Amino acid sequence: MLLKDQAGLEALRSGLIAGPKPTRRLWVCGGPGCLASGAAKIQEALVREAKGQGLNFEIEFRADLTGCLGLCEKGPLVGVEPEGFLLEKVALADCPELVFETLRHGRPIERLLAARDRFKSHPFYQPQVRQITRRFGQTVPGSLTDYLKTGGYKALGLALTTLSPAEVSLMVERSDLRGRGGGGFPAGRKWASCRLAPGSVKYVLANGDEGDPGAFMNRSLMEGDPFSVIEGMTLGAYAVGASKGFIYVRHEYPLSVERLNRAIQSAEKSGLLGRNILGGSFGFSLEIVEGGGAFVCGESSALMASVEGREGQPRVKYVRSTEKGLWEAPTLLQNVETWANVPLIVENGHEWFKGQGTSQNPGTKVFCLVGQVRRSGLVEMPLGSAIRKLVFDVGGGTGAGRSFKAVQIGGPSGGCLPDSALDLPLDFDNLSSAGAIMGSGGLIVMDDLSCMVDVARYFTGFLMGESCGKCSPCREGLTLLYRILDALCQGRGRSGDTQKLKKLATLLSKTALCGLGQSAANPLLSTLRYFEAEYLEHENEGFCRAGRCQGLFWPRIDQELCSGCGLCRKACPAQAISGQKNKPHKIDLANCLSCGACLSVCRFGAAKAARKDS
Amino acid sequence: MPHTLPKVTGTIDGLKFEVSPGTTLLEAAKTLGITIPTLCHHPGLPPDGNCRLCLVESGKKLLPSCVFPLRESGGAFSTQSPMVFEARAFVVTLLLSRAPKDKNLLKLAEVYGAQADPLLSDGEDGCLRCARCVRACRAGGSEAIALIGRSRERKVAGPFFEPPIDCVGCLACARSCPTGVIAFGEEPRSIWGRDFDLVKCPRCGRPIGTPEELKRAGLTDPLCPDCRRREFSASLLELPEASFTGY
Ligand SMILES: Cc1cc2nc3c(=O)[nH]c(=O)nc-3n(C[C@H](O)[C@H](O)[C@H](O)COP(=O)(O)O)c2cc1C
Ligand code: SF4
Ligand code: FES
Repeated sequence: MLLKDQAGLEALRSGLIAGPKPTRRLWVCGGPGCLASGAAKIQEALVREAKGQGLNFEIEFRADLTGCLGLCEKGPLVGVEPEGFLLEKVALADCPELVFETLRHGRPIERLLAARDRFKSHPFYQPQVRQITRRFGQTVPGSLTDYLKTGGYKALGLALTTLSPAEVSLMVERSDLRGRGGGGFPAGRKWASCRLAPGSVKYVLANGDEGDPGAFMNRSLMEGDPFSVIEGMTLGAYAVGASKGFIYVRHEYPLSVERLNRAIQSAEKSGLLGRNILGGSFGFSLEIVEGGGAFVCGESSALMASVEGREGQPRVKYVRSTEKGLWEAPTLLQNVETWANVPLIVENGHEWFKGQGTSQNPGTKVFCLVGQVRRSGLVEMPLGSAIRKLVFDVGGGTGAGRSFKAVQIGGPSGGCLPDSALDLPLDFDNLSSAGAIMGSGGLIVMDDLSCMVDVARYFTGFLMGESCGKCSPCREGLTLLYRILDALCQGRGRSGDTQKLKKLATLLSKTALCGLGQSAANPLLSTLRYFEAEYLEHENEGFCRAGRCQGLFWPRIDQELCSGCGLCRKACPAQAISGQKNKPHKIDLANCLSCGACLSVCRFGAAKAARKDS
Repeated sequence: MPHTLPKVTGTIDGLKFEVSPGTTLLEAAKTLGITIPTLCHHPGLPPDGNCRLCLVESGKKLLPSCVFPLRESGGAFSTQSPMVFEARAFVVTLLLSRAPKDKNLLKLAEVYGAQADPLLSDGEDGCLRCARCVRACRAGGSEAIALIGRSRERKVAGPFFEPPIDCVGCLACARSCPTGVIAFGEEPRSIWGRDFDLVKCPRCGRPIGTPEELKRAGLTDPLCPDCRRREFSASLLELPEASFTGY
């Protein structure tokens, strides 16, 4: 249906909301984690089973895939409405029972029940504030009907009828919204600059490249609520005077492309995109561009080169892209999550937006919490929440027998922060003064079995491979850093290596051409800052206290702590461990490979790494 | 219409400069007689700012002087600070790992006390990845070669690492190379694994260029530069006196 004006839009919305509702709905998590563990099959099975049991589709039930429900580790997840149950680890075999008990009779299945009402009672959800992810578990992603029912396009309708472009821009300026793609640059400043830049052709651009390995917050957003990005960009285009926009999506994300495309098409059909939006004079069209696949393509100048069809490589630029961006025209580039905040600000006002987060860092941020925590997944928190809250309240802390060592924040060029930083408010400024970055919001929790030199080596190695190779400091310098780190991890370190690393890393960050090289030393510099002792142990004693670098430690079993459970005995690939059940075990060092398998399986913290000469 | 824009003023190493907006820091330094070492920079080619040798300090930050345009605000720059010195030593150390025997680099190494790091000794192919050859090729109007690949694997080559089909044999790449590592033959003409014919000047018989090169330049009936000059002066002499007035 082609919407001709705001009144038509609101009439449609009220009609949809007042329309019939199915008695009960199952929301199968369609986030990346659950999809990988078979969520799509489960959704199909639930529909089939329900129909088989005689339930009326649309009237008595619906079962749909929805955006990421968050607790990825426990997937496939199923949410139940109106009760609010959250069921975890649902298998195909559970479907008949789930339909009979839960869908028909509203009773949860106890063995699958993660929470009776997840937002009220589950420790993973309770501390969260879900603004950007609020439609995950409430809507079918890419369904315009569902988007409208949950308040979608209210902001655009409001803007086009009551606000001038300058007023929309001013709302974003006053909201103090900061870019969610890494640097936290004030979005409003870019909006104002692009709006005032001379030029009849302008562009808006969304960065959905998300090159950080293992991160999936942007993906979850594009796949869980594609319309919020589209509406945000439409508002941006209206504010700065653009009539064309691009969404740059990482090429490994075919589902994001599909859902965004579907959403774009239905917005076009309904007069919410294209010429004469909502019957007025403003027109805006959107196109998806699939990324080149390199991490560096997320960097703004490389991204724009790639959109223009050139090789995705950074350029030295001393002009703002809001003045000269795509094809030399003023261009407003924001991360997809930044865009998704815009409808909220325009609909509710900048004062409302500042009600979450801190004064310098208003709003919420979506994080990916992974690593050695009990509960991992997709989390949305107000900016400025203590890191401890995320790691321990939401994530539940480290596993049995292990202690917290560090949290790596900000993707591959982020930094590792120690326990002394746990009370730091998680915001752009505090993170960068502590030596990490917000990046796109990845948090990897590490326990005492993580060696910080090895961690630095891992990220430096990743960035070394992703360096575009254009400038000499990044191209040659990262390789040099990596090789020194590698030597340290293999016990071939030389005296002075730690000092040398410090000096080279600082120089790299000062001399590289683009953000990749300039931030590539962060993993190294932050671990050197907080864990220098570990570097010196590797360098001077050939000792790895985490028991991670093979050959740089002997495992020891603490006879007091050992319960004799036998897990280490079974895990040892060299059969070097012996002992009777329930009696303390022993390691025969003559056969030991120093691989650390025993350390990682011990649940009592009894297996420890010791210096080789002790 | 904008009249002459106001000049940009500032200081480099304490000396005052005054240049028109858009002038690079490197050019501004030159007006003061200050030399900044450069490598990827070539006055005849568009700047790329990739080698990072020409870095200059401005308020705790380093800027690549060959590409940095001076705009409204000038500011104070230093080409001699300890930070600049350290940065250059770092860059030279890294580049030495590619061309440890290059005379210019060795001279710089001496000035900045830099030494090749043995940990990087496996990449000594003589190429600094400065892209001067690639830019020279583009400037001539071809796209025969490019820097292909990422990170340390990046190298100059033709498409698919084959002899480049779009090469016209003009040798501009080899002549712009700071280390002279691009192998070529002048006569007979060969480069990048390809052999070329040479068109001879119909007057004096000296080689003028390859047929592909002349075609790219749109020269149909070519003479060598000397003979062309001679022919031009001769043609002037044949003109009637009157055509010289008005000059
Ligand atoms: C190496 C590198 C990779 C980047 N990758 C991304 C990315 O994947 N997604 C993103 O939004 N921004 C990325 N950025 C930041 C962008 O350059 C740019 O600042 C951002 O997209 C601007 O949007 P924002 O202000 O809304 O954050 C990257 C930057 C660098 C230097
Ligand atoms: S810093 Fe790295 S990625 Fe950026 S231009 Fe230099 S080589 Fe390329
Ligand atoms: S000469 Fe300026 S960066 Fe190379």
